[in-house]
Amino acid sequence: MNLRESMGIALGALRANKLRSFLTLLGTIIGVGSVIFVLSVVEGLNRYVSEKILNAGANVFWIDKYGLITSDEAFQEAQKRPDITIEDADALRLTLRHARMVVAMADATAPVRQRNKVVRGVGIRGRGAGYDVVDDLAIDQGRHLTEFDDRRRQMVCVIGPEIAEELFPGLEAVGRLVRIRDWTFEIVGVTKAKGKLLGESQDRFVAIPIHTFQKYWQARGSFYISIKSVDQPSLPVVEQEARNVMRARHHLPPGRADDFALSTAETFLELYRNITGGVFALMIGVAVISLVVGGIVIMNIMLVSVTERTREIGVRKALGARRRDILTQFLAEASTLSLAGGLVGIGLGVVFALLIGLVSPLPSAVSVPSLFLGLAMSGLVGVFFGSYPAWRASRLDPIEALRYE
Amino acid sequence: MLIAIRDLHRVYQVGTEEVHALNGVSLDIERNEYLAIMGPSGSGKSTLMNIVGCLDTPSAGSYKLMDREIGALSDDELASIRNQEIGFVFQTFNLLPRADALHNVELPLIYAGLKHEERRRRAKETLELVGLGDRMKHRPNELSGGQRQRVAIARALVNGPSIILADEPTGNLDSATGAEIMAAFERIWEQGNTVILVTHEADIAAHARRVVRMRDGRIEGDGPNPGRQGGPPVAAA
Repeated sequence: MNLRESMGIALGALRANKLRSFLTLLGTIIGVGSVIFVLSVVEGLNRYVSEKILNAGANVFWIDKYGLITSDEAFQEAQKRPDITIEDADALRLTLRHARMVVAMADATAPVRQRNKVVRGVGIRGRGAGYDVVDDLAIDQGRHLTEFDDRRRQMVCVIGPEIAEELFPGLEAVGRLVRIRDWTFEIVGVTKAKGKLLGESQDRFVAIPIHTFQKYWQARGSFYISIKSVDQPSLPVVEQEARNVMRARHHLPPGRADDFALSTAETFLELYRNITGGVFALMIGVAVISLVVGGIVIMNIMLVSVTERTREIGVRKALGARRRDILTQFLAEASTLSLAGGLVGIGLGVVFALLIGLVSPLPSAVSVPSLFLGLAMSGLVGVFFGSYPAWRASRLDPIEALRYE
Repeated sequence: MLIAIRDLHRVYQVGTEEVHALNGVSLDIERNEYLAIMGPSGSGKSTLMNIVGCLDTPSAGSYKLMDREIGALSDDELASIRNQEIGFVFQTFNLLPRADALHNVELPLIYAGLKHEERRRRAKETLELVGLGDRMKHRPNELSGGQRQRVAIARALVNGPSIILADEPTGNLDSATGAEIMAAFERIWEQGNTVILVTHEADIAAHARRVVRMRDGRIEGDGPNPGRQGGPPVAAA
């Protein structure tokens, strides 16, 4: 039969009653819209996070006391482990043949002052020499922290450009003094801006030598160690070597579990994927429910339409329409309806995804396959939920249908 | 023989009761006859029309349309015969309200599987034939009753059927318009078509050249219309 005609009838009915059509298609619109929206946001996040995390920590892994801890018991257990020390880092540096850099690290948060200006909540990073390689920091003005700074426990720091801008707007920051908690540090360098990662600025930090950090902030307690391998293939080798060294230093006999954690960017990515996977699954569930509800509403409207147009069906049959002609007509109408809903949903989903990308730190990327997925889904909903009404229409007895008032 | 009906029965099941709508009807109709089936309501004339129009199949007996036994056909085969051989004209016109005159006339051609241009061309020609060449783009609600029935007649004619089957075609029209429609049937018949009117009105049946009277599911009388003389003009020629 004439597909164009059926689609014309469906579109005509849509136009004739805009509010009813909108309400009819609301389920489909929400279903498809949320699928597009979620896929766009997740896609954006994935791309962004993979890029940032994997680039920042390319071929880097970390050794620390806790690792990724997700339960209270595990945390209680992990507290009994020995601390990771700066000496561990020194030992690893001496032993690991394929490591490009081994850096001891620790982090704290403190306000940073200059005269009457205060920047609060600044990340204070204790860093061994070579931190610029593992942290992927480039210097903009001045110099990086050195081995010498570290050995001498110098009161020097390298600051992020955001701190420089806030404390010394428009001025040269290198050579000036800042107070971190109760101690005065000299700024020896300002790094290049790195921008934001998931809405969090990466340019809001102060890096000081790790031994200086140890002296003033953390006489005891655990450090962590960042290790960068020379290249991708050697990463597992270095990981294994590092594990062996740490086990030897902690006198662990074979068969005992590690009492330290070794994590890679992949570990964090995996956690991230688990989290977004959960959100993803939830939203897809919501979308499926909306689509089913939307489909049932479409089925209902189509059943009403079949009843309203019983006479028309009778006339068409009298004029020679076969069962499959009637079936195709009503299927085409139902699909046109739900495709129209799908298109509106895609539009709304894209608009929301772009809006979210603009006003929130969540990056979103509209993925082209998701648009086709949305269209396919709405089309399938139309065909699936339209088939029963269409079947009913096709089975009508022409005599009864012609007599129908 | 165009139509050969032998001992036709049609039984409906209404609740637990069997209703014999047709009770042994035999009827032959030649090509290019102008025939009226008359009878009061309940006489079985509508049932007979439905069977002749291939909308319904007999419970017993034989109905041959152009030597094909209709009772043996499937739903889709019946649809195809309705499309090719039967042109229906209904009392209530039964035009699609949302479609214009041209599209309404095109419908049988759509189901016949004709291409768009061919459909357009033939539908236009047929509408011009019934004098509606200037009303093609009008929807049914923009047309008068007589014009609607002429659209319906064009729709019945457009596929070149063997039989035009008209069920009370003037029932919803005033007498002047009714006369106009009957004149249209007269012309159609003169052009060589077979016309079967189903009516309970004697003055409508009076236009036909042969009148079949029905009562209680049986044929009560069958003969030439005394008021109308002469055979089919085309057949005579």
